[in-house]
Amino acid sequence: MKVFVLIMLLMTGGLLAYGVKDFPGWSNPNAPASTHVSPRYIQAAYTKTHTPNIVTAVLADYRGYDTLGETVVIFTAGMGVILMLRKKRRNKGKDNV
Amino acid sequence: MFEYIVSKFNYWAYICLMMIGLYAMIVKGNLVKKLIGMNIFQVSIILFYVSVGAKSGGATVPILTAEDIHHAHAHVLANPLQYMNPLPHVLMLTAIVVGIATTGVALAIIIMIYNRYKTLEEDEILVIRKESGV
Amino acid sequence: MTYEHFAIFIVIVPLIFSFLVVLLGLFRKGLCYPLTMVALLVSFIISLGILDSVMTNGTIHYHVGGWAPPWGIELVVDYFNAFMLVMLTFIALLTGIYAKKSVQQELPEKIVPFYALFLLLVTGVIGITVTGDLFNLFVFLEILALSSYALIAIGSDGAPMAAFKYVIMGTVGACFYLLGVGYLYVVTGSLNMADLRMLLPPLYANGAVQTAFIFIFIGLSLKAAFFPLHAWQPDAYTYAPSTVSVIISTVVAKTAVYALIRVIFSVFTVDFITLYVSILDIICWISAIAMIYGSIYAIRQFNLKRMLAYSSIANVGYIMLGVGLCTSTSLGLTPALMHILNDTLMKGCMFMAACAFIYKTGLWDIRDFTGLGRKMPYTSFAFILASLAMIGMPPGVGFVTKLYLIIAILDAGQYAFVAVIFFSTLLMITYFWRVIEIMYIKVEEGEGSEKGSAISIDEASMGMLIPGLILAFLCFGIGILWLTDIPSPILNAINSGFGLGVIP
Repeated sequence: MKVFVLIMLLMTGGLLAYGVKDFPGWSNPNAPASTHVSPRYIQAAYTKTHTPNIVTAVLADYRGYDTLGETVVIFTAGMGVILMLRKKRRNKGKDNV
Repeated sequence: MFEYIVSKFNYWAYICLMMIGLYAMIVKGNLVKKLIGMNIFQVSIILFYVSVGAKSGGATVPILTAEDIHHAHAHVLANPLQYMNPLPHVLMLTAIVVGIATTGVALAIIIMIYNRYKTLEEDEILVIRKESGV
Repeated sequence: MTYEHFAIFIVIVPLIFSFLVVLLGLFRKGLCYPLTMVALLVSFIISLGILDSVMTNGTIHYHVGGWAPPWGIELVVDYFNAFMLVMLTFIALLTGIYAKKSVQQELPEKIVPFYALFLLLVTGVIGITVTGDLFNLFVFLEILALSSYALIAIGSDGAPMAAFKYVIMGTVGACFYLLGVGYLYVVTGSLNMADLRMLLPPLYANGAVQTAFIFIFIGLSLKAAFFPLHAWQPDAYTYAPSTVSVIISTVVAKTAVYALIRVIFSVFTVDFITLYVSILDIICWISAIAMIYGSIYAIRQFNLKRMLAYSSIANVGYIMLGVGLCTSTSLGLTPALMHILNDTLMKGCMFMAACAFIYKTGLWDIRDFTGLGRKMPYTSFAFILASLAMIGMPPGVGFVTKLYLIIAILDAGQYAFVAVIFFSTLLMITYFWRVIEIMYIKVEEGEGSEKGSAISIDEASMGMLIPGLILAFLCFGIGILWLTDIPSPILNAINSGFGLGVIP
């Protein structure tokens, strides 16, 4: 079992490493990730949103819909925990109610 | 070869971390340990994304300096090379929250399991369930 | 143009109502159910409006917050989304009708969080369906996943363990998806589906793109319970509360399949799959194994819900066989698209009936079903209609799927799969016939003779009966509809949108 798991992990890791081989090097300023979408954020975020913190501008404005989703995730988790763990108060004695 | 490995060391680090997490998730019999494995797994992906945002050559955190704010008022664009890529950071803020929410729900499920079987070892739970005839 | 805003409305409506359910539920629990139904009804009506708008005005592009893609998030609704939206909201509406009695019985003191989570689940489903952004899809995938974890965990018996298994495997699936998206981001710098479609072609030979494809495929297959990755699915379907079994076996499962097809064909395109990863043949063979495996395991089960769960694994195989054959036939994705709807109708009906049996009589073991056909005639009738449709009685929907799949197979010249379809049909007949036999024919023997005359009609309430019957009749109504020309503009538009349906 453990050997099988290890072989599977090595395959997964190998595949990930195979993908990495074609990556641009780490922290290369000319990598596509840093040249396609993000320069516009750095250049235009302040004039569009008047927020010096670019991460905040992108989080709350450009990708605000994602952030809404993020809040909903927390809400979902909260409701889920209430659904699963909340017990009737009767179990602990009625005088609490 | 050595240079190739060094130039991408962040990716090797995240792959190692991820394998540790996956191993714990699959092999460990204790449910809390499985959950810890899941957290390591998620954190490795967060590290991967955040490392993608890095830029060498004097780039700093993506908060505009007073000078650049001044320039922006005069419609002079900031130099993207000066600041790190903000997008991975934004994505990971969301992913961190998602990870925490998942952990919360998983812990609630673990509490339910413990209340029902009084143990968190997977094999013991299997034995209990077999004995109860399901 | 008001129609454009429908794309965001349909996400926001169930979301806002889920907040309202919690808020007003604090004061009056009786309000939860009507609010849920209003939300589901409004979403269904909006989805019809969206379908109408897409058919008259073409694809809807909605820029959330007015930020142009790829910088902001874009919602895109084309024929495929619109088709899925109508189907998903319709099934969610029927499940909502069905939910009332079963929730009252199973979870009387958890009504408020239950309906709130139910609506959040619908929000997640719709959010996944309308989005045009890969990372946004991940966020809604997690909303969907978290609400289904919690809803499954409150079921009976082994439910918490089933839910925990689902948490672990679901998180691996979501993280693999996220990882794949990350790989795409590193080499392209974009997250927008349409933008990626433009940027990717020169990079198709890049190892990172191929790795990304494999990880996204594995991740979403985990969510869709596609054959070797289905381990979480039978337990989750079996132990979940009735309403939840119905909704996860239909809406949630099909949403994952939707996401899979969307990413494969909208982001990576057919060229990439055929020329660079050549995964389609593998998908075909795995699907064939899934069809046989699911059916064989279904035969071995005596728990009706578990039998249906294994049958679902076989049916995901049918859908994926349609996907695997898509490039080598002029039908394109048509059989797969048909079976997405068909399986939803049949599985929805069967799970509703199975849970109505449990609700009314407490029976889940098939061997105890003697005389059930007389005791609950209408529910049994719905179940039998759906199982006949699934076996492939013309003009049921199962027959249409099999017919089109066989045409596609003959078109592609891979005759082995015809044998697989016939064999799996044979297995299906075996396990459905067993149920029908016990329910109707075995009445006179054994235990039945003692009770014999004592069996009186004790039918499930109207709220649980009518959705099942509607679905049962739709199993045949839609089957006839597929055989006409009416749906072909939608199917053709989806196929041509993906560049399929034309043999080079």
